[in-house]
Amino acid sequence: MTTGIIFGPEYLRHEQSPTHPERNERLAYTMDQLMEEGLFDHPDIMLIPPRKATRTEVLAVHDPGYLSFLEESSVTGGMIDYDTAIPHGLIGDALLAAGGAVIAADAVIDQTIHNAFVLCRPPGHHAGRSHGGGFCYLNNAAIAVRHLQRRGMKRILILDWDAHHGNGTQEIFFTDPSVLFCSVHQFPFYPGSGQIDEIGSGEGIGYTVNMPVPGGSSDQVYQYLLTEIVIPLAEEFQPDCIVVSAGQDNHFSDPLTGLALTARGYATMMQEVCILADSICLGRLVGILEGGYSVEGGLPYTNLGIIAAMAGLDISAIREPDSLLDLLHRSVSESAISQVITITGELKEILSPYWTCFR
Amino acid sequence: MFTGIDIGGTNTDIALIDSDIRTIKVSNSKGLAQALLKAGDGGRLAVSTSQPLNAMVTGSTGRVRTITIPGPGLVHGGAVKGAVGPRGDVLEPVDTRQVEGLLRGCRADAVAIVGKFSVRNPVQEEIVRDIARQFFDDEQIAISAPLGGLNFPARIATTRINAGIKATVVSLSDQIRKTHPDFLFVTSDGGLCGFDRAIDNPSLLYHSSPATVALGAGYLSKKQDCLVVDIGGTTTDLVPIRDGKPVLQTLFVQGRRTLIQAVTADTIPLGGDSCIRDVLTQVRSGNARAFGGGEPTLTDALNVLGADIGDVSRSCCLDPAKAFEAYQYYLETLGAIIHRKDPGLIVGAGFLAPYLIPDLADEARVRYYVPEHAASANAVGAAVSRISIRIHARADSGRGILTLNGVDYPLPAGISDDDLLMYAGEIVRTQARKEGAPAQDLKELLTSQYSVYNVVRGGRTQARITDFVIGIAPGITAEAP
Repeated sequence: MTTGIIFGPEYLRHEQSPTHPERNERLAYTMDQLMEEGLFDHPDIMLIPPRKATRTEVLAVHDPGYLSFLEESSVTGGMIDYDTAIPHGLIGDALLAAGGAVIAADAVIDQTIHNAFVLCRPPGHHAGRSHGGGFCYLNNAAIAVRHLQRRGMKRILILDWDAHHGNGTQEIFFTDPSVLFCSVHQFPFYPGSGQIDEIGSGEGIGYTVNMPVPGGSSDQVYQYLLTEIVIPLAEEFQPDCIVVSAGQDNHFSDPLTGLALTARGYATMMQEVCILADSICLGRLVGILEGGYSVEGGLPYTNLGIIAAMAGLDISAIREPDSLLDLLHRSVSESAISQVITITGELKEILSPYWTCFR
Repeated sequence: MFTGIDIGGTNTDIALIDSDIRTIKVSNSKGLAQALLKAGDGGRLAVSTSQPLNAMVTGSTGRVRTITIPGPGLVHGGAVKGAVGPRGDVLEPVDTRQVEGLLRGCRADAVAIVGKFSVRNPVQEEIVRDIARQFFDDEQIAISAPLGGLNFPARIATTRINAGIKATVVSLSDQIRKTHPDFLFVTSDGGLCGFDRAIDNPSLLYHSSPATVALGAGYLSKKQDCLVVDIGGTTTDLVPIRDGKPVLQTLFVQGRRTLIQAVTADTIPLGGDSCIRDVLTQVRSGNARAFGGGEPTLTDALNVLGADIGDVSRSCCLDPAKAFEAYQYYLETLGAIIHRKDPGLIVGAGFLAPYLIPDLADEARVRYYVPEHAASANAVGAAVSRISIRIHARADSGRGILTLNGVDYPLPAGISDDDLLMYAGEIVRTQARKEGAPAQDLKELLTSQYSVYNVVRGGRTQARITDFVIGIAPGITAEAP
């Protein structure tokens, strides 16, 4: 059981500006933590360097016109939205992030490794076919999914647990019944989409599942949604591989969001997903880093927890420093779970025509 | 005058180098004091000894109690409450009562104290060490911060080794300092270090013999790329040299990664003292008969086949056919291993090199060279080596601190990236000068693993973090004749 970590120092290169939330400091403490834990020496963990995604791999997801726009703006500099500038040389870094996801997919299919976590930057899940946004340029997860399908995996489950709705990924697969897109996200919140009645269209109807959660949602809420929605859906869908858009901005210390997940909660959630993958798709699982902006108090511990869970290590001592406990207590909303129970009931109702598990 | 001493398993080799090279061999049975007397007290003395570390690796040191301060993340044995973060901030206080409870009545011979991220701030290891001093002597306590590098499990393994051998290194050091107060130890990478540094991190001394042999053989032969074949009493060591330097690798002890960088060497358990019991064995039961031992060995076989080593008359009891068979076995075994390595050229070292290397090279189908003084290449290597230092540096402008292998220095405000490297370099040079390094050896500093990032809080840059490794590479001192 080997877990691949796809990472290279190039993943620290991209910066829109030195003080942007999505800056290289995001992974600095994580890499310190992973190196200090000796994870790269662990017999069950393999460090794999990334490569750039090819044009063919990117164009399986994005429009040629959009790719050309990114390429040209990478020379001249450019802007996508208020939060998403295109710095010089962006395209090289974006292709490396997408290529990391492709390499992870390849290694999992080839059984070089059991599962993989791509510690890439920039993130991707807000990038649609012909647009970027929300710090994202190329949709790394979608590019990995199309690559998996090109290599013979028919059905793919995407679990997007980033605090923000994965609007780009949703748009790309909205009409596609071969990809079941499940997103848990804070709502109402950026980018504004991701309500329970957004369930796909055409042949893809029923294959988009949105689980909006209120601010203050804790480990308990995520565990509930996993048990009530994600696992039953996955067991019925029987995917050939699971891709996790692993945003780490649900952490209670994240400065940009209002959720209340702990590092241990993340680790437990990933452990459950690993068990699920083992039971339905031979353990094939690719995790891809999306957001997460609590660079010092959150990311080192959440990333470690996720990797430890994927590698089957003991996660019982995965936690944040005690100094953050007060903040945790202030972040958790006691009423969130009851709201989520109500929303879950409505969601099951909406999805019941398409899924027997909800009838 | 440059003097090198290599304390081997049987003998101590001494090399005295000024305008010419003199070598002396002293039996270990006569004691270290005798060897130090023969070394004289002029000039610089460098001592190579693998004995303390070898004792640890073979499990013959005492029990070591480990205390870890793992903080959040993965937990290891001997854990106590406390935590330091990646930036060196104290996140949770050490539970001193828990530490006292663990150490009170503890029957271990030594204590290894290892905190996660202690290399960024050693304060919690120091708190535990202060408590440990109530129950143990300083020589029995090792902390991990001086190791410098990140990797908590590897620091645990290395600090346990250090705790196990620290007392031996202190006692050896005290003995040598009586006659040679400024002596240097040879380190596992073939460089030299002052005794203070060795006591802080005794693992630096691991496996220094192959490193000194490689340096010595390289110095004597002037060959840049070769395989040094060092034929000792118990073993034959094969040490590759590339671009004039031995190759370094991370050492694993009992399957665990350490933070020790040691010279790459293959050790084959056959040497001049390997006993011939019908056939050549991997057993050593003392000296060859030619040197007063009881059992015939490979050295005696060489005498039977026409060599003139030691007291030839004592070798004659060995049957010539068995002698030839043993000799052939040695050549075939080593020849096959060397041939597979395809070194192009082998350079012989060790007392038996002139007798065995020509035929061995023929067997391995490679060229050979046996330099003058090959018998004492190890001691020559120690004599001509230079002070080397490897320091993990972290500058945190927010805390105003430059941490070098766990030791904090003030960081001048607003220092530029280039000036930071100069500043750290000057500290490295000062330490090397204090240990006796000449100016010519300090011209070139090596910097690697350089990375930098800004600490941004509330949309403002609050600090700049710079990590790098800086030091002086091992090699031959510019002052060597």
